[in-house]
Amino acid sequence: MTSRYDATAAMEIVNASAPGAACVDEGVLFLDPEQLADSIQTLRDSEDSDLIFLCNLTAVDHELHFEVVYHLQSLDHNHILQVKARIDDREDPSLPTLTGVYHGAHLQEREVYDLFGIRFEGHPDLRRMFLWEGFPGYPLRKDFLQMPGQIRAGLPGFPHESQENAWPVPGSVPQRPMHPNDPQGPSDVAVTEESEDAS
Amino acid sequence: MTTSDDTRLTMQEDSHLAMQGTIEALTTGDGSEPVVVNLGPQHPSTHGVFRLKVTLDGEIVKDAEMRIGYLHRSMEKLAEERTYTQNIPFTDRIDYLAAMSNNLAYCLAAEELLGVEVPPRAQAIRVMFAELQRVASHAMANGTFINDCGAWHTPLFHMFRDRERVLDMFEMTCGARLTTNYMRIGGVAFDLPDELLPTLEQFLADMPENIANYEALLLENEILHARARGIGVISPEMAINSSLSGPVLRATGVPWDLRKANPYCGYEHYDFDVPVGEQGDCFDRFLVRMAEVKESLKILRQVIDTLPDGPYLADLPLHARPEPGESYARVESPRGELGFYLVSDGGPAPYRFHCRPPSLINLTALKEMSVGGTLADAIVTLGSIDIVVGEIDR
Repeated sequence: MTSRYDATAAMEIVNASAPGAACVDEGVLFLDPEQLADSIQTLRDSEDSDLIFLCNLTAVDHELHFEVVYHLQSLDHNHILQVKARIDDREDPSLPTLTGVYHGAHLQEREVYDLFGIRFEGHPDLRRMFLWEGFPGYPLRKDFLQMPGQIRAGLPGFPHESQENAWPVPGSVPQRPMHPNDPQGPSDVAVTEESEDAS
Repeated sequence: MTTSDDTRLTMQEDSHLAMQGTIEALTTGDGSEPVVVNLGPQHPSTHGVFRLKVTLDGEIVKDAEMRIGYLHRSMEKLAEERTYTQNIPFTDRIDYLAAMSNNLAYCLAAEELLGVEVPPRAQAIRVMFAELQRVASHAMANGTFINDCGAWHTPLFHMFRDRERVLDMFEMTCGARLTTNYMRIGGVAFDLPDELLPTLEQFLADMPENIANYEALLLENEILHARARGIGVISPEMAINSSLSGPVLRATGVPWDLRKANPYCGYEHYDFDVPVGEQGDCFDRFLVRMAEVKESLKILRQVIDTLPDGPYLADLPLHARPEPGESYARVESPRGELGFYLVSDGGPAPYRFHCRPPSLINLTALKEMSVGGTLADAIVTLGSIDIVVGEIDR
């Protein structure tokens, strides 16, 4: 079985080379965003941790801050470590890239940039991946504009728990805010009227 | 008549010579300008809506850049609006060629959040269907790969014959063939129907002969060797550094299989080997997949022999609210490490739903594998990675 690598041991490895770059909060290793790439490189190259495989890289929007989550794996010792970096700046969130440490971060960082708008400084090819350049906003942020067809953001509870949570009856859906990608309603109407006049 | 025939012959010779000259100029690449060729979004070699933009000097690939997102359905956002159980059908549509594996990985992540104990019979059924799915998916992967190598559809349809029988078994168990929606949090949706085990026995009895036929047809096949040997080579160090997983990683000689490294659903009780390659080229990836089908059949034999009785679903309310927390569960899907990262805030829906897609991450090294080879080799390389575009774009 894959064991969990002890976060405190990892913190000691990182802090031995860069004092203060790592701290443990409730069993999770948090790294200083400034020294993120160097810290993870230390964890990769240390014989004790030997985290040579980047399993997973993603981000979570905690409304007031972002967390970027890394799952690092050692193939020889068969242990996994979860590492987090916290970004408080919501206006222009950025982190150092890991592409110099793991080539496998290349596409995953592009995905996070595309969907969360977190810039990875030093990434060789940071462009949007699924969406097109100029797409308004970053969809996986919690404050993203409501998507077309979406009734409400999030799921407050199960229908049986409260009357407020009842599934909406089709047709009774309140008007949602206009989305920049929506077709412009009034102009369509105007075209129809003109054509009627012409006939 | 004679004159015109002679003329036609001369013209043919001329065009033949001209074409040879063009081919020489193209293959030497002397003095020619780089040409940009778009493979896709609709192209038989791309196996879906996937665009590969290659820059060619002559016939040599100088740069390869992929453009994806044509199938982006924003599942990670949609999943934040639906309960944990309602999200299971989404996972079918992430990788529609290995829906069972996706169901399983998501259910494992949700069970880790909820702290659910899965009954032994449900675990055995899960292993059974995950391995059947691997047989079906590898049949598709190998068949289309050989298609890309130039064996036009004959091996593919032989392999589809096996896949069809697996899909029939899915249909008799859960009513669906591709998007199965069969696993549930805490077990599986239905118990095995009476007719499944005899069908599976017959399938296991027939498969060794079928596989022997494929091996006789393909393993010594000169065309397959010429097209796939030494093509798309990647070193083990580069493969690990690029986070490759599944048959692409094992073809380089790294015996990394999550069924062995991190057993789930009782895989530690089954006896099977992890086939590895030596050279990390396209042919080794094909060989690893062929060998993995045999290992899957071995596992299926053991599952039938040791299938326990008991409940197939844990006693769990549909309206489950996990405690705040997070979980990362992964399985060895036919394409590699398939992980689900779930974050719960204590609500009825996941606060964050992330899928670690092996198809996308295995493409990280596509440029390294294809640059320096010919355009035809790039297509073989892409086929050997075995991508599913639904999983790349999600």
